[in-house]
Amino acid sequence: MQNQNDMVKDEAEVAASISALKGEEWGCCSVEDEPSFQEEESAKVPYVGDKEPLSSLSAEYQAGSPILLEKIKILDNQYIAIRRTRGDGNCFFRSFMFSYLEHILESQDRAEVDRIKLNVEKCRKTLQNLGYTDFTFEDFFALFLEQLDDILQGSDESISYEELVNRSRDQSVSDYIVMFFRFVTAGEIRTRAEFFEPFITGLSNATVDQFCKSSVEPMGEESDHIHITALSDALGVAIRVVYLDRSSCDNGSVTVNHHDFVPTGTNEKEEEASAPFITLLYRPGHYDILYPKSSCKVSDNAEK
Amino acid sequence: MQTSRARLFKEYKEVQREKVADPDIQLVCDDTNIFKWTALIKGPSETPYEGGVFQLAFAVPEPYPLQPPQVRFLTKIFHPNVHFKTGEICLDILKNAWSPAWTLQSVCRAIIALMAHPEPDSPLNCDSGNLLRSGDVRGFNSMARMYTRLAAMPKKG
Repeated sequence: MQNQNDMVKDEAEVAASISALKGEEWGCCSVEDEPSFQEEESAKVPYVGDKEPLSSLSAEYQAGSPILLEKIKILDNQYIAIRRTRGDGNCFFRSFMFSYLEHILESQDRAEVDRIKLNVEKCRKTLQNLGYTDFTFEDFFALFLEQLDDILQGSDESISYEELVNRSRDQSVSDYIVMFFRFVTAGEIRTRAEFFEPFITGLSNATVDQFCKSSVEPMGEESDHIHITALSDALGVAIRVVYLDRSSCDNGSVTVNHHDFVPTGTNEKEEEASAPFITLLYRPGHYDILYPKSSCKVSDNAEK
Repeated sequence: MQTSRARLFKEYKEVQREKVADPDIQLVCDDTNIFKWTALIKGPSETPYEGGVFQLAFAVPEPYPLQPPQVRFLTKIFHPNVHFKTGEICLDILKNAWSPAWTLQSVCRAIIALMAHPEPDSPLNCDSGNLLRSGDVRGFNSMARMYTRLAAMPKKG
């Protein structure tokens, strides 16, 4: 026993001396997570902002790059308004959420709601087949389905446009729906791992499982084309992304590029028949919602 | 509040079902507070923690499962990613890589995996991390083994 204690003491001394030598230069894992400057800034912006005229966008770039200003002018011909979302890493999902639910509220398109509900059920089975425990995702699914029902008019629970905005700004609803989309996106990527793998390795050098665990499922992780493709495919909803960056053509002419994410299985006729009803504005690192000018949307909402 | 409570109740029921399936983890909810849990986990085999039983304390925040539970070792453990005094754990899923897809049970599994595979590059216990980083596996094993004997195993005689 005595012997063992001596040995222990020696070990401890060795450890202490090593740490004295090298503890300083090898940084330690910090326990406290202080909110970053970015987080503090973004907390001042609501999850989903008010609808603003597109002129608010050009105001932002008054002294900015001429290419951007020219592109905004082009946007001005096609789009009437912008709705900003908080830059908290969830902006793509949050923009998609509001844009989709607002479309359902305005169109009262019951056929679309019935259609997406079928897709949601498929997503549920996908997660079950992948081995996710039901109770880990079912609350998030239930809340999304509840929003769909509440948005269709004609029941006692029907909600107004103001209530939709309120809910989108209420963390307990808004974050749950964002998380629902994250589950759906991860499920789609995992079931079609072969399809997504080359994109994922090209982007991050991670496996499909690592990518989902580190870049899809955790809140606050930013989205890119992989997430958008997966969500669009899983829910069967087309998404148009308009790119506002400093790129220009070689010949000096300026155009605004956009890309339509069209769900797999959409035939060409369907694709031509209607532009995506969700349009997002992408600026490097952030997504907001755009409102096209000549849309068939009913514009009888409170804001103008 | 409602949602976290309901979720934890589902986890409670799941834990009752899984007891047999996962003999290395014994997760117990506080009698009076569903936001407080403790777990007994078995040290993984072929590690200096083998044969030890380690107690973890869980404090579940109200926004759970959007936010991770706070977990710490109550049993003293010599491990690069566990604070030697407070028992705090440096593990990505308990911080920025958390997602509601995790459960208290799967967090226990992740902690057991961390015990078997320390990450000396992000040490909370620098002494322990430095031993591994300087390649002194024998020194690390013997320190970790000693504390397992002292703190995580029943006293003999």
